[in-house]
Amino acid sequence: MTEKNRSMIQRRLIPTYIFLGIVAFISVFPFYWMISAATNTSFDVSQGRILPGGYLMENFKNLVAGRDLWGAMGNSFLYAIVQTILALLVCSLAGFGFELYHDKKKDVVFSILLLAMMIPGVATMIPLFKMISNMGLLNTVWAFILPSISTPFLIMMFRQNSRNFPVDVMEAARIDGLTEFQIFFRMYMPMMKSTYAAAAVITFMNAWNAYLWPKVTMTDPKAQTMPMLIANLAAGYTTDYGVLMLGVLFCSVPTMVIFFVLQKQFAEGITGAVK
Amino acid sequence: MEKRKGADLLQKQSRAGWIFLAPATLMIAVMSFWPMISAFITSLKTGSSANMQWANPVTYNYTRMFSDQLFMRSVGNTFLYLAVQVPIMLIFAILLAQLLNNKDLRLKGFFRTCVFLPCATALVSYSLIFKSLFATEGLVNTILVNLGILSENYNFLGNSTSAKIVIILALIWRWTGYNMVFYLAGLQNIEYSVYEAAKIDGANGWKTFWNITVPLLKPTIIMTFIMSINGTLQLFDESVNLTNGGPANSTITMSHYIYNNTFGTGVANFGYATAMAFFVFIMVGILALINMKVGDTRD
Amino acid sequence: MKKKLISMLLAGAMVLSLAACGGGGGNANGGSGDSGDGGNTQTEGTDESAGGSSEGGNTLTVAAWDPAFNISALKAAEADYKENVNKDFVLEIKEQAGSQDIETLVTTAASSGNYETLPDMVLFQDHWIQQYVRDYPDAWKDVDDIDINWDDFYAEKLDYSTIEGKHYGVPLDGGTVIMAYRVDLLKEAGYSIDDMKGITWEKFIEVGKAVKEKTGKALLCMNSDGNDLVYMMLQAEGVSQFKDGKPNITGNDTLKQVVQLVVDMTKEGILLLPNSWSDYTDSAIQGDQVAGVMNGNWIIPTIQKVEANSGKWEITTMPTIKGGEGYASNGGSSLYITANCQNVELAKDFLAYTFGKSTVTYDNALKDGGVVSTYIPAGKSEVYNEGVEFFNNTPIYAQISEMGSHVKTIEQSSYHYTCREKLGAAIINIVNGGDIDEELKNAEDQLNFEMGN
Repeated sequence: MTEKNRSMIQRRLIPTYIFLGIVAFISVFPFYWMISAATNTSFDVSQGRILPGGYLMENFKNLVAGRDLWGAMGNSFLYAIVQTILALLVCSLAGFGFELYHDKKKDVVFSILLLAMMIPGVATMIPLFKMISNMGLLNTVWAFILPSISTPFLIMMFRQNSRNFPVDVMEAARIDGLTEFQIFFRMYMPMMKSTYAAAAVITFMNAWNAYLWPKVTMTDPKAQTMPMLIANLAAGYTTDYGVLMLGVLFCSVPTMVIFFVLQKQFAEGITGAVK
Repeated sequence: MEKRKGADLLQKQSRAGWIFLAPATLMIAVMSFWPMISAFITSLKTGSSANMQWANPVTYNYTRMFSDQLFMRSVGNTFLYLAVQVPIMLIFAILLAQLLNNKDLRLKGFFRTCVFLPCATALVSYSLIFKSLFATEGLVNTILVNLGILSENYNFLGNSTSAKIVIILALIWRWTGYNMVFYLAGLQNIEYSVYEAAKIDGANGWKTFWNITVPLLKPTIIMTFIMSINGTLQLFDESVNLTNGGPANSTITMSHYIYNNTFGTGVANFGYATAMAFFVFIMVGILALINMKVGDTRD
Repeated sequence: MKKKLISMLLAGAMVLSLAACGGGGGNANGGSGDSGDGGNTQTEGTDESAGGSSEGGNTLTVAAWDPAFNISALKAAEADYKENVNKDFVLEIKEQAGSQDIETLVTTAASSGNYETLPDMVLFQDHWIQQYVRDYPDAWKDVDDIDINWDDFYAEKLDYSTIEGKHYGVPLDGGTVIMAYRVDLLKEAGYSIDDMKGITWEKFIEVGKAVKEKTGKALLCMNSDGNDLVYMMLQAEGVSQFKDGKPNITGNDTLKQVVQLVVDMTKEGILLLPNSWSDYTDSAIQGDQVAGVMNGNWIIPTIQKVEANSGKWEITTMPTIKGGEGYASNGGSSLYITANCQNVELAKDFLAYTFGKSTVTYDNALKDGGVVSTYIPAGKSEVYNEGVEFFNNTPIYAQISEMGSHVKTIEQSSYHYTCREKLGAAIINIVNGGDIDEELKNAEDQLNFEMGN
């Protein structure tokens, strides 16, 4: 391809660049606004001030005063990480089982499980709450994670991506004397790395952002999560918007970092790539 | 003899398969299906949450919802969001994916990251961000007034039509990138040569889009459609945090109304609330089924 | 190779952050000191009695929701009791996001039949207790035999928490309604604070128009999604939205008059109706858009947030339909002992000593959080009678304390908030062109529907 040709292609793409530029701007702008608001006084924020101000330290002081920001951060990390690890293990085992050992009966079980995807959260909240509280698990990490360790979505994702797992390799491994479990741990897991990465991103984000269920089960302030802390900032008789936006910023950074870091694996995992 | 051994082996493998899927299946049974059954029993009862009795007649809660104006309004609102927001968002997502799938495009990673970034925000966070952006004294008003588009500050969240539009805009902002990733992944599985061939045949951009991209993305489209329908019918956070269902309940969603009947307004009408939740469950089920039937091309 | 490295780094980072979080959580909890048992027990799942404290100790737990307001009062009481009664006493405050979260806490605990999640005491708004005792009778411990002289409290306040002659709650703060005006803006329009005392709503509208014309500001505001105006204006007339446990809306001429007034004022721009509570406090009041605020006296700290307006506010009583000083009460909360309390005697002693009779507690609660008590003798203390600079050096707290004793008792209902919501929606619809009779009929029908009538 000649230099001229290339520049012609780029010129033809100018409308595309402009369009994508606008979309990117709209996508990112609220983040800019959030960061800018975190540096302004509450009054400036409520009056729609767009430029960053010099109130960041003051807002930070107010944010940590009287509330346990690091405790909530720690809790959110703990819950989200434990949930991610367990969910990935349980759901990938199931996806592996459903796809590579599938028969009529298992397919029926699979379609029944998919039904669970349609159950609205508000419907099961009360019975679930009773169950968890009878087990004496309220305000523990288990109350947070138990209902979302096994999700039809993740099972489906692992099952879908397991289609690309080479069956002949499995046969060869069996001839070599590997047990079914060894096949899973030694061959399946490393080969499905990108699916795990994608599933981890999705699970971590869901766990980190969960609000309604923790609000009901994690009533002890010591078990509080970041979204709950933010909601607390927005409650009370008056709201300090600068402090609130700083809290929102703290809450958003971890999920953004995780996404940035795992971006490539995430895209590969969604595609169902096998390495 | 040989045959028996093979059957034994198969049986053993099948059993291993069951073991693999057992933990997940059991967990879903205990954490989703059992509560659902127990919720169904509750839906046949009335009374305050601590001492409930069988409803008389047992279908009372189910017939009641059809004469409940507010619930009917919440159903209407939810379906409005569904009908307007889901198609716009998905078409937009496919379009973006298509644009980003151009191998000549530079800064691809940058654009993709920008568009996906909104999904990284907590629902609570982004609702709060949109609420303050669209406040009467907020940034959007300030900009529109300064540009001369509005003559005075407009109460976006105080008018039922504009409040609905803000909710729809917020949803599109938050979820387009999420869906785009799935399409982008789907597109990357399509061989580039297919497009080259189409180009040689003289097909223009729109033609290739409708005749090649859309059919090949069909499974992905169906999946995102079901996910979006499911998500929209269970819409909750936006309604609670952005508008609190207001003004005068004109933006309230089904899940929000159900929540109000359990915890939200302290009414604790669990029997009625679970009956409404079942209605949502059936709606999602029916829509997902239609979707799969329409989209099913296998014979 | 590169991939392997990245995944290893990632795994390492995860492990590190796990460790860091565990440690961080522990430090933060231990460092805050007043959290009782210190360490981050919640992560190990051993903290089974997460709600209440253990038997026989010196610790009580309580759930409350606003660090700038009622939590300050609780801290004042803790300090008072610690210094004068029991030096080992600890009050562990479980902060909630808002009053709704306490309602959620009660509802979830009661409906699952597991009271273990409840703290020893909960603080909530008075309108709930009737419903809670009716629905979950065994969730509460009455305080009938507590060492408190009930005559020292406003009768109207105690009316909420007394059920079938039994006392269930100890009042923390009151909701005596104040009508606060910006005197500087009134002056610009040619009026003084004395002109506003005991006036009719008609006159109020006249003044409102003048203020609007001269200064551009509204003379009244209220959030439209939780409109308290109707309730307050009705109470000033001695009328309730309920009659014999049934909604009293369509057949209630006073109510119709009040709703019409609210609608008229909104249309004239005299009354601002922001969408939500936060818009009401943050953009209307703190955004300096109004020349008048009418609400329970707990709104005062919000008004005081605009320091630039110090000295420009004063308070008086509400207008009424026919003229004469109006008295009402909106909001306010009490402390209730739950069934999960293992240390009822300590709880009763604590409540009786502090909120039952200690002017030290009440003085500090006022100083630290602006919490105004419903304990009549508290109003006689020096702190209450000091002039408040923000309010032009007038002794507003003594004024409020006096006003509180005039509030008329009216019929209460556990459907108070449902009724408020329906009427609020009706008002929005009428302002947007709906017919008043039709909308009030709708509101009553919907309310009856929810009440199961």
